[in-house]
Amino acid sequence: MKFWRSAQPQGLLLLAPALIVYGVFALYPMLNVVVLSFMRWNGLTADKVFVGLSNYAGILALDPVFWTAFRNTAIWTVLSIVFPPLVGFALALGLDQKIPWRTPLRALFYMPVIIAPIAVATMWRWMYDPFFGLFNAVLTSLGLQGVIQDWLGDGAVALYSVFVASVWQTAGFSMVLFLAGLQSVSKALVEASRIDGANAWQTFWHVRTPALRPTITIVLILSTINSLKAFDIVYGMTGGGPAQATQMLALWAFTQSMQLGDFGRGSAISVVLLLITLAIVIPYLQWALRREERVR
Amino acid sequence: MTALANPFRPAGSDRIDPVLVALWLVLIVVAALWIAPFLFIIFTSLKTNSTVMGASAFAPPTNPDWTNYAAAWTRGKFSTTVFNSAVITVVKVPLGLAISAMAAYVLSRIEFRGARAIFLLIVFGTMIPFQVLLAPLFTLVNGFGLINTKLGVILPYLAFGIPYQVFVLHGFFKELPRELSEAALIDGASHFSIFWRIFLPLSLPPLAALLILDFVATWNEFAMALVILQDNSTWTLPLGLMSFQSQFSRDYGQLNAAIVMTVLPATIVYMIFQRYFVSGLTAGAVKE
Repeated sequence: MKFWRSAQPQGLLLLAPALIVYGVFALYPMLNVVVLSFMRWNGLTADKVFVGLSNYAGILALDPVFWTAFRNTAIWTVLSIVFPPLVGFALALGLDQKIPWRTPLRALFYMPVIIAPIAVATMWRWMYDPFFGLFNAVLTSLGLQGVIQDWLGDGAVALYSVFVASVWQTAGFSMVLFLAGLQSVSKALVEASRIDGANAWQTFWHVRTPALRPTITIVLILSTINSLKAFDIVYGMTGGGPAQATQMLALWAFTQSMQLGDFGRGSAISVVLLLITLAIVIPYLQWALRREERVR
Repeated sequence: MTALANPFRPAGSDRIDPVLVALWLVLIVVAALWIAPFLFIIFTSLKTNSTVMGASAFAPPTNPDWTNYAAAWTRGKFSTTVFNSAVITVVKVPLGLAISAMAAYVLSRIEFRGARAIFLLIVFGTMIPFQVLLAPLFTLVNGFGLINTKLGVILPYLAFGIPYQVFVLHGFFKELPRELSEAALIDGASHFSIFWRIFLPLSLPPLAALLILDFVATWNEFAMALVILQDNSTWTLPLGLMSFQSQFSRDYGQLNAAIVMTVLPATIVYMIFQRYFVSGLTAGAVKE
């Protein structure tokens, strides 16, 4: 019993469950996907064959859908870094003012964030319904029949239609982070600048915006990472169609492995996406840790 | 809702600012647009198919047809999917928080070689997109023979919930005064009892926030469930809704009733525990 009185074994015992589950079910698949990307395998039978880089050659040179998915993921990411944070920032600025109902308004704008992405997909699919959906009904009643589209069925607009649903779902998330950032800007500082004769615009630009810089970085990084994860909403709204027009890397990796039975190629796509994510995440984590040390 | 003293007046001023009034009106209009999808879904869920096809899309239902809900409940096998979702959530959420809190306690309070490295390795997990790992997760769970079992989704759910929870709780525990655990240690208490008797009771606010966030995340999860729960008797609510959409997409009233029933639990939880969402999110992301 003496052994258990000291700190180390107790610590080990408390730490072990989290570490084992995390190691086995999060870290191991991440390493395994790299191994699988060098194999030819259908995911079920025992015969795994080492094929070197041929899966990578396959997706990069022979698979046009990979490049469509790559381009769509790039477009989606850029749009996700710009629009939801901008909308969220505008809402946060407005809802940081002394106006009536601001608490229920904040709650309302955040509400789509907590809804299952697959439910958002189903909702918006119905609103985009070409015959009885909300959008075409509104356009018709405004006399804008010319603008009516098959929003999800037309490859030229489908990706953007899905993205609009995503803005509706995610802007509230940025808004909450920006609101917290705005509230952490010292009231004394704002007050002092006012007394010194700064107008509202000068206070905003020279006092509040610089203080918001860490929040802005965090929102942009989280938006980037979340956009690379885009899966549910695309799967639910278009399944990658029409004719791969909304195909994304995460979804294409899933389709290759789980639906076409090519775990090698699917894993190679996953590895490409993982590398892109790491290239963004690692510098960010370094920055965040340095900042944490400085604060302390 | 608390009434706001002196609305529309900027700090230090008694005059109503017309810019703020205009801003407020704009926000109200945007809010109406934001809530429109919800109203449209609820309205449609109360209409018969012929009303949906015959009358204006945004007209409220004049004589609400509640039968859509009962019909969607049966055809969508909601009794099965709600039960599965509830069991998975009720097991996963408290269990995940418990093991995360234990790990966070050790990493913030017991010094040992490699503690920093382990912490970084876990925090790194907050950034791994599991959506990329669906195929290897399937392979792994299949290797354990857990495809189509609740344990088969609970284990990966636990694994991908740990990083953020450990990160937030580690930050919280570190702020608690050192003397708290040191005094107890000198008195002969074990780390188990310090964790259980002192740290857990003190960390109820962040635990509550994480509990709510994790409830919603687990309830809504789709992608992992999609690859692991393949048999329809094991499906969770999001899988059931997806299948309903592909089978009965032309039964507009019922489809929308199914959507309402799927999102209702998370919405109710959100409305009751609203303030915890904000504190749970900002605890991890924004440090003052």
